[in-house]
Amino acid sequence: MATQYNIPVGAQHIALLEPLHFKFTTENEKIMKAEANVGYVHRGIEQACCSKFKFRQVSFVVGRVCGLCSISHTTCYSQVAEKLMQLDISKKAKYLRMLVIELDRIHSHLLCLSHVAENSGFEALFMKTMAYREFSMELLEAVCGNRIQYDFSIVGGVTRDLRPDVAKMVLEKLKIFKPQLDELVDIYSNNYTLGLKNKGVGVIAKDDVYRLSAVGPFARAAGIPIDVRNETEDTLPWKEAGFEVVTETTGDVYARNLVRLKELYVSMRIIENVINGLPEGDLAVDFKGFPSGEAINRLEAPRGELFYYAKGNKTQILERLKIKAPTFSNVAAMVHGFHDNEYASAPAIIGSYDPCLSCTSR
Amino acid sequence: MKSFFDAIGNLFKKPVTTEFPVQQTYIPDDYRGLIVFEESLCIWCRKCEMACPPGAIVFSQDIETGKQEYHYSPYVCIYCKECVRACPAPGALLQSSEPGHPGLKEENLNNGWNKLFDESLESRAAYAAEKKRKQAEQKAATDKAKAEAAAEAAKQNPEQPIE
Amino acid sequence: MTRIETSFETLKNDVAAFYKMDKHHFITMNGVDLGNDEIEYQWFFCDYEYPCAETMFVAKANANVMVPSIREVVEPAWVAEAELSDLMGVEIENADKGFMLDVDSDEAPLRKKKK
Repeated sequence: MATQYNIPVGAQHIALLEPLHFKFTTENEKIMKAEANVGYVHRGIEQACCSKFKFRQVSFVVGRVCGLCSISHTTCYSQVAEKLMQLDISKKAKYLRMLVIELDRIHSHLLCLSHVAENSGFEALFMKTMAYREFSMELLEAVCGNRIQYDFSIVGGVTRDLRPDVAKMVLEKLKIFKPQLDELVDIYSNNYTLGLKNKGVGVIAKDDVYRLSAVGPFARAAGIPIDVRNETEDTLPWKEAGFEVVTETTGDVYARNLVRLKELYVSMRIIENVINGLPEGDLAVDFKGFPSGEAINRLEAPRGELFYYAKGNKTQILERLKIKAPTFSNVAAMVHGFHDNEYASAPAIIGSYDPCLSCTSR
Repeated sequence: MKSFFDAIGNLFKKPVTTEFPVQQTYIPDDYRGLIVFEESLCIWCRKCEMACPPGAIVFSQDIETGKQEYHYSPYVCIYCKECVRACPAPGALLQSSEPGHPGLKEENLNNGWNKLFDESLESRAAYAAEKKRKQAEQKAATDKAKAEAAAEAAKQNPEQPIE
Repeated sequence: MTRIETSFETLKNDVAAFYKMDKHHFITMNGVDLGNDEIEYQWFFCDYEYPCAETMFVAKANANVMVPSIREVVEPAWVAEAELSDLMGVEIENADKGFMLDVDSDEAPLRKKKK
């Protein structure tokens, strides 16, 4: 048996966007075992939501759980609170929520892709992807009024209307982005050097996904069509807006890149359909009363399935709010994915996991 | 090989970045900015204070006159517009498109605001207590007056036998 | 959402009888403090195939009782178990402490404060 070395990566490391700690046990450059510590940014948001804030204010608090999927958290909470209050929101509000979720998905996926390119050593592609990503940030700023924390969903509807000139601008910018995305797909799938770093690296096979209950692009890259947008219709009408599942088969870094890129086409189609078929209606419904009973809700965030559990006790303040973020489900699969890979490919693998630690530890 | 030529070609392209001071970046005209308060339209219902998620609005009250005063911290505000939605008086609160300014250390933002917040709540409690005391005093005074009047009447009663 | 009441003695068998690896995925484990040191434990599962139904296993117990682990049946459950054992301050079989909280943090932040 060769000598084994323990190599720590993180909590502060150049390959990481957020504080995350991995402990690798390596043998001749091969990773034999990995351990993860994900609890560095625990802020007690669940506790704050059940003690300090009223249930209407909680949708703004949970938006601060994560900067990248802020709208997923606010929408998922709003939906679970609407289930507790038994509210029916207007179709227009649902469509506007879908619009912002998909815009958010574009910027989140492009961030992840650029990060994979950077961690694989392809700095120029990182710059290129980040430059192309800028349009989605501008659109989000125009639609929501904020660049990062959108505060778009509230319990009962949405806060802002889509102005006609902004809608026109969204469609125009998407038209410009389409050839740029084709170019990115070409580079990510055909570039030789990137392929050396990405193909066959960090494989999480179909059986492992089943065994480890992974969600999101992890599972779709391995060929399992698990997507909450495909599974629920009561909360948001995804299929009506033209949603289709994207899957790949190999389950490596390359497949995860391609799943994310192809999902951007789906997102763009959904945005176009939403804007072209935006129905008339109220932005938000007024309601009185306090939440009671318990409810759960699931929503597809950029990284996978987001899950909320809420329990009310007929007062302003919730009894319990549980947030399960997508990365939290994927921790077990993340640790498994390093096995039998070169230590040098660990940064690219971490990048392709797209870990969101603020969501995970809340 | 193709990407190599692309890279060479990029040398002669226009830069993607904007020249900031010369060329302005895109700012939407309904940008979320600071909250503006119009005192003459306010009905002093304090609904904005109850709705505000971070607690950036607080009303203090003068102990003598009972006049309320509006305090707003632009540094605590998250520009979510909940107060404007909660406001029943149209026009009393508005969201401007003016962005928030960076805070300075000298202004003692966090501790200063927390102190002001607590003091405002205390001033309201003090006013309520004072009002209660005044009412009790007034009630005691009227009760006393009534009792005196009754006693007076009782004194006079025996002199007027009931028919 | 299907709600299945169970107890600590029967939990492992119930989950093993229900859980098929390629039919369901494990969502998470949750605990709700009901007051008076009683905690309701919940295990959430969801189907892979459309239409997706969520299933919830529920067991109530005192906070001092050791919670059985389901990781023999559902492998990724260790993450949720380690988190819950930190945040609720309960003993879960084989769960290592210190996964989510540091040594100097408040103990069991999600439990109701005793008056």
